[in-house]
Amino acid sequence: MRPFIFERATSPESAIAAFHADRATSFLAGGTTLLDLMKLDVVRPERVIDINALGANEIEISEDRLRLGASVRMADAEAQEELRRRVPMLTQSLALAASTQLRHMATLAGNVLQRTRCPYFRDVSWSACNKRLPGSGCAAMAGFNRQHAVLGASDACIATYPSDFAQALIALDATVDVVGRRGRRQLPFAKLHVPPGRTPEVETTLAPDELILGFEMPIEPWMSRSLYLKIRDRDSYEFALASAAVALEVDGGAVRQARIALGGVAAVPWRAREAEQALIGRVLDEASCQLAADIAFAKAQPREHNAYKPLLGRQTVARALLQAAAMEA
Amino acid sequence: MNEVSAVQFSPDTVSLTVNGTARAYRGDGLRRLADVLRDDFGLKGTKIGCNAGDCGACTVLMDGAQICACLVPVGQCDGAAITSVEGLGGASRLSDLQRSFLAHGAAQCGICTPGMLMAASDLLTRSSSPSRSEVEDALGGVLCRCTGYQKIVEAVLDVARPAHIVRDGNVGARAAKVDGPAKLMGTERYGADGIPADALYVRAIRSPHPCAKFAPGNLEAFVAARPGLVRALTARDVPFNAYGIYPNIKDQPVLADGLARYRGDPLVAFVGTREAIEAIRDEEVPITYEPLPAIVGVDAAKAASPLHAGRDQNVLADGGVTCGNIEIVFGSAAHVAEVEYETSFVEHAYIEPEAGWAERKGDTLEVHVSTQNPFQHRDDLAQILNLPKQAVRLISSAVGGGFGGKLDLNVHPLVALAAWLCDKPVGYIYTRPESMAASTKRHPARVKAKAACDASGKLSAFWSHAELDTGAYASWGPTVANRVPVHAPGPYIVPHAKTRGTAYFTNCPPSGAFRGFGVPQSAIASEAAMDTLADALGTDWLDFRRRNALKAGDKTITGQVLDDSVGIVETIDAVEPYWRTWNNAAAVFNAGSPRVQQGVGIACSWYGIGNTSLSNPSEMKIGIAPDGRITLYCGAVDIGQGSNTVLTQIAADTLGIAASDIKLVMGDTALTLDAGKTSASRQTFVTGKACELAALDLKAKLAQVKDRAALRNMPVDNHGDVLTGHGRFDPPTTMLDEKGQGVPYACYGFATQVALVQVDLDFGTTKVLKIAAAHDVGKAVNPQQVEGQIHGGTAQGIGLALMEEYIPGRTENLHDYLIPTFGDMPEMICRIIEAPTQHGPYGAKGVGEPALISTAPAIFGGIYRATGVRVTKIPVLPHRLRAAIRAKEGTR
Repeated sequence: MRPFIFERATSPESAIAAFHADRATSFLAGGTTLLDLMKLDVVRPERVIDINALGANEIEISEDRLRLGASVRMADAEAQEELRRRVPMLTQSLALAASTQLRHMATLAGNVLQRTRCPYFRDVSWSACNKRLPGSGCAAMAGFNRQHAVLGASDACIATYPSDFAQALIALDATVDVVGRRGRRQLPFAKLHVPPGRTPEVETTLAPDELILGFEMPIEPWMSRSLYLKIRDRDSYEFALASAAVALEVDGGAVRQARIALGGVAAVPWRAREAEQALIGRVLDEASCQLAADIAFAKAQPREHNAYKPLLGRQTVARALLQAAAMEA
Repeated sequence: MNEVSAVQFSPDTVSLTVNGTARAYRGDGLRRLADVLRDDFGLKGTKIGCNAGDCGACTVLMDGAQICACLVPVGQCDGAAITSVEGLGGASRLSDLQRSFLAHGAAQCGICTPGMLMAASDLLTRSSSPSRSEVEDALGGVLCRCTGYQKIVEAVLDVARPAHIVRDGNVGARAAKVDGPAKLMGTERYGADGIPADALYVRAIRSPHPCAKFAPGNLEAFVAARPGLVRALTARDVPFNAYGIYPNIKDQPVLADGLARYRGDPLVAFVGTREAIEAIRDEEVPITYEPLPAIVGVDAAKAASPLHAGRDQNVLADGGVTCGNIEIVFGSAAHVAEVEYETSFVEHAYIEPEAGWAERKGDTLEVHVSTQNPFQHRDDLAQILNLPKQAVRLISSAVGGGFGGKLDLNVHPLVALAAWLCDKPVGYIYTRPESMAASTKRHPARVKAKAACDASGKLSAFWSHAELDTGAYASWGPTVANRVPVHAPGPYIVPHAKTRGTAYFTNCPPSGAFRGFGVPQSAIASEAAMDTLADALGTDWLDFRRRNALKAGDKTITGQVLDDSVGIVETIDAVEPYWRTWNNAAAVFNAGSPRVQQGVGIACSWYGIGNTSLSNPSEMKIGIAPDGRITLYCGAVDIGQGSNTVLTQIAADTLGIAASDIKLVMGDTALTLDAGKTSASRQTFVTGKACELAALDLKAKLAQVKDRAALRNMPVDNHGDVLTGHGRFDPPTTMLDEKGQGVPYACYGFATQVALVQVDLDFGTTKVLKIAAAHDVGKAVNPQQVEGQIHGGTAQGIGLALMEEYIPGRTENLHDYLIPTFGDMPEMICRIIEAPTQHGPYGAKGVGEPALISTAPAIFGGIYRATGVRVTKIPVLPHRLRAAIRAKEGTR
């Protein structure tokens, strides 16, 4: 690790102000990604601003809305009995994400901003990584790309977006509450991340000085019929090969609303809107769920070692939908 | 400036409470809590296994909640209350949780134990009587490579019940580990724990290329420009720059001399302060590379020019066994089965990375390392440094897991060389990525096998060839290539056989010793062939195996007549009830579950205890002091499997004294005799026998003494003892002739395991639900530890079968390289069979490696029964199994 300055901010304003003073600055929340990447020399901040003391710890649940502060620990959100009951998809995505220790440490905002596990990004001895060194190429294209994205990737980067929780947020139409030097703003969670395109080093629409303060989303009664299904190589904490966050509003046997988001297969948090549309008005059965799953992966672009992902992803979506259909909501 | 007034600048003071004591830290706020606890506060009980939040060894409580201390900057701990393992019981008292761990045998090597204890403490403060699944979830972030988690779960579940701790067990007792309390209190000292505070550190710069010519630039200028660096080391600084396991194959350089042969080969090294060597970025070191085409895989090896001079087709070793005439039998056999499997590199993944230090004392050198192999490592270091053997003293630290991976030199040559040249203590702790890049691996094997039986179901012939990727250096390649053909058919009567093992050099990490020496890979093929033959006959898999199993008086394919201790049939009988019940239950389950199917598999195995046809003596010494105190001078290193306890039990039982009256000195080349390597499942069998003989010798000498008071007037030796008993045992074996005929081992361990698995046909995911394991160990000196070996071996077998695949440069951490966690472990049933051998102490054989061999083939049999497919590339990751299922179903 290089020499750096460590500072602790006690308010969002002071954190933002400190940021502006120096460009090579990182905000530090739970530290579970940043400290790891600093040790690996992948990120090299000269200044680190600890934002754990600036508040944003609230969990507010009302009849129809939920607000989760950016600094809420994953474990604390996951432990909310009311949330487990009313939006199981949300708490399941947190419980399945990481070990207990990491869930105690990692914050919700840190979780959605975590960096990819692409080995070529995380190991600086690989010289080609457009995300780490813009313009250097992508070693994963012709390399070991079993874990890589089949949706939303580009010729410059096929790294998979790793978060589980983000899939629940995008499925729930969450908004992100952001503050920066130019003031406070809200944006749809779906607009927080940007696909890699030609600039995979740019991962979000946040300005460098902007901080997430929290997430807000509507909660509706039908969201109790929701779940997060995660397929992985081993049974305890591990990143998804494919996952699906689904929620269904069913009226008289037919689908009135569907939410489908996909993890482990895409370069950014991924909402399968066309698949959702295809379910509306349909009765949930093997055929309709499989159809939605097919649509979700219609544009998938597999590479040499991840050719299994569109198929696995389809099965995951179909199974998640069928399981949600069978839930007592 | 007003706008930054609310920002506190580093350095600042962090006030925190550690184990109830107020502490102040002043310095860099981004230093990790784990480092501050260990290095600033001297609390070495918190272990660092990965420094990345993947292994959980550093788990402590922060304001009551378990966290990874390796990922918490100390600056975030202002006002926090931290509890580490030292805060659980106290300096001399065990808490109820620690007592329960000790009573249950929940700690083996002990390196994960502090983390497990803290995670369990977190759970128990929230829930005083947790369920099994709550325990598995709460402790699920701590990886253990030894125990298979079973006894840890039991210890946590039973914490409320007063646990009975057996402290003075004789042979056969479920005695608590003699070194258990130290492991549980966090006072045990592993490789990294004893490095002196004023030591310099050394670090190697490793090749980023699998094959490259390289030339160091001006390293002196590089050192001079960086405060804190003391000197650089290159190949030219190494007096004898070659080492290796075999006396005639010293092919591995301490520092590569112009040619890097694998990604991870050490090229140059730097000595300096810890901060200075950690600040070096590899790409800033002046080294020029000329990358060369790399040899990947055994087919490429055969076609490539030799990586080592004189190794035509890159063949390191080629061993084989021939008996009878297979060609004639195959031509007329009633049924023939042919199979082919390919396995991957597997990483040992001990939770303690390689670590140690060295210190020069005049013309001698003291080296403290975590090793399975102290005496050979002393000899190798003496040769490397061009010193007489007596000038090097090697002292083994506690070892945080080995499994064969710490049989080779790792940090030793560089700490020794640096300490010798700099005349300062020098330490070295591998990072996790460095440990994974540099250390040896299980050999990837492509095993082809062909088996035949007659119409009555009797095996008539067996042929196999295992082609092994031995990587860049010889290491244990010849051992593996020779052990595989001897074991290839499995524990069956096979009148005609031709088996072969060939190891090829490639530009991959050196493949070495890993629990089973190639037998686990080869058993996957042979056991699949047995299933196939049984199916061809329409016979039950278990019945087919029992009909062909070796019995006392039968001949092995090397012509050895097994004259005692053949417990394979008893192990089959012991698992038969589970085999029958689970098959019936799976059939019922499957009828109601179209897309999730269960299956049951079975596999038998055997394993020769000790070295293959090579002398491998152990010598032990037991002394008695004038005051009657007994000391066991034990050159055998306990790597967690429990030899310290087992050998103490044997000594105590033989001498007729209490185990707690015996003091133990372990793995010190100046104080103990050579008890060989902790490998080949040999310590209980070989060293145990030497220990028994030493105890008998001492007992006979004591019988000559009139009374104990007379001891006080006898002259003492340089250990302070007045009488010493010596014991030496070398198992009776013979060399194998050119056809592989002879007596390679004095005895064999036998095992049968049955696995009930469940496969999701849509996802290709496999869950092992239950395993019944019956093992013939001759005599269970400590049944609890035998169970621990079976649990842990089975866990590694599950990893080998389903998830572990090391890919150089892509999986060098404990999150991209997956090992089983709590959630991956099945319900386990152990049945211990005791068919005593006349050679071993009290009839004991060994169990360390036999524990692993049957697991993967039993799982694959279960998968086949559940799906109708066999995946031939191991591990059976979900995408591979799903592809095979799709191919069979011919559908989407």
